[in-house]
Amino acid sequence: MTGTETTTVGPVVPVVDDVDTGEFFAAAARGELAVRQCAGCRADLHLPRECCPHCGELSRTWRTVTPRGTLYSWTVVEHQVHPAHPTPYTVVLVELDEAPTVRLLGHLDGRPSLTIGQPMVVEFVDVEGVRLPHWRPAAEEESDHE
Amino acid sequence: MTELAHRWVPGATSIAGIGATDFSKHSGRSPLTLAVQATRAALADAGIDPREVDGIVRCDMDLVSAPALADSLGVRDLTYWGEAGPGGSGPAAMVAQAAAAVSAGLASTVVVFRALNGRSGNRYGLVGERGAAGGEGSYDEFFLPFGMQTAGQFFAVVARRYAHEHGMSVDKLSEGLASIALACRSHANNNPAAQFHGRTMTREEYFASRMLSDPLRLFDYCLESDGACAVVVTSTERARDLASVPVPIISAAQGTGACVQPGLMFPALLRPSITTWPSAAAAPTLFGRAGLTPADIDVAQIYDCFTITTLIQLEDYGFVPRGQAAHLTEDQLTTGGTLPLNTSGGHLSEAYIHGMNHVVEGVRQIRGTSTNQVAGAEVCLVTSAPPPGASALILGVDR
Repeated sequence: MTGTETTTVGPVVPVVDDVDTGEFFAAAARGELAVRQCAGCRADLHLPRECCPHCGELSRTWRTVTPRGTLYSWTVVEHQVHPAHPTPYTVVLVELDEAPTVRLLGHLDGRPSLTIGQPMVVEFVDVEGVRLPHWRPAAEEESDHE
Repeated sequence: MTELAHRWVPGATSIAGIGATDFSKHSGRSPLTLAVQATRAALADAGIDPREVDGIVRCDMDLVSAPALADSLGVRDLTYWGEAGPGGSGPAAMVAQAAAAVSAGLASTVVVFRALNGRSGNRYGLVGERGAAGGEGSYDEFFLPFGMQTAGQFFAVVARRYAHEHGMSVDKLSEGLASIALACRSHANNNPAAQFHGRTMTREEYFASRMLSDPLRLFDYCLESDGACAVVVTSTERARDLASVPVPIISAAQGTGACVQPGLMFPALLRPSITTWPSAAAAPTLFGRAGLTPADIDVAQIYDCFTITTLIQLEDYGFVPRGQAAHLTEDQLTTGGTLPLNTSGGHLSEAYIHGMNHVVEGVRQIRGTSTNQVAGAEVCLVTSAPPPGASALILGVDR
């Protein structure tokens, strides 16, 4: 994890104080990747909401997970839509190694060579004071899962 | 399905009239005017005085409210209104809601419409340009800041995953997507109302079109359109005394499946599968209510905001096994083929009226008045998009 490295990708910032999702961004600000976890049955609940569809428990508990994942799919955006995201860029969809029902997005510049199933790691990026967990391909030594 | 859900009576209600405006990139009219024009056309087709309308069902994203349309039509008293969605999941569900209102005795003459200036007015995809994104249950905070901002980008991620899961190259998938785009285009070339009426396309031209969100190209995307479509729903018994041949609603269904996820579209990337859609949940309900199977469908109008949307639905509705829709050819999908689809040209080549032009074209096929008429068509499937949910109709002939 390279939480100390920061770059700027643009001004589209998330709402960070939503009652259901704010802790995700609070954790990111601390350099952590957090997943909403049901206090009753321990199911991971992403997208974050209070009511667990599995056991009905209302809770607001979270757990911290290792910021590693596996590439689930991606697209290379060639047609410019938003001024903050100059094309080409790539949006990756990553499945978390320690929470396989959770998938998160990341933004990469250009058209990197990618393969579905390859290891990915979080790279925190600061955008106008908000720290976002983005994803990049794991370097060889980082992809050692033993 | 529960016992109650089996109380659907096939063909109890009918579509008695259809109407549409011209389809363009710049209507120069308000959505209300477009809605009125399409609705008046549908009522004239049915031979019903606009003042007799007592029910209206709209799409939840429409800018035109039910009272606004009732006012312009000169309705004496609107006694029933409703809406369905989200967005493109709506049209078949809107027709189903009208049918339910008629069957329940809440209304007798229900207009179902969709009107939009989808090109000259509010264009889709221009989201997240102002202020912080997300919150309030939208969950956009997990998507927009990461560069995922349009439906096309969303479906591109789905398409690549589809190719991976079925062990095919992205280029092989694109061959299948091309077949859908080409089928729609050739149908539009015979339909004078279609925006692409005068523009032919070859497979080479499809592949030469610019990549917008890899692996989806320009011609995998639907047209952005201005226009409106409307239908009139009433009891089949009453429809027999009206001006046009009734087209009975044999079946109607909606579905989400389990783990549908909150939000509108992007959260669907969190579902257990992103290559099986709510249409797979709606399909058994739809066919079960009709007592029919996919083999009984003569022609289909399948929601096509993108080619991949249609391709996955062909599997969800059971026309081909998983992974096989990418192997369909243009000849199989055009008039005279085994599964002719989107015979008006669809969203890809006629116009994007958010699923409502598919309902209108479905009625034409049963009446035998399509510009791409399937010989002897008696059973037509009409679908309305996943991902937020799916809805569908089976239209048939009055017996």
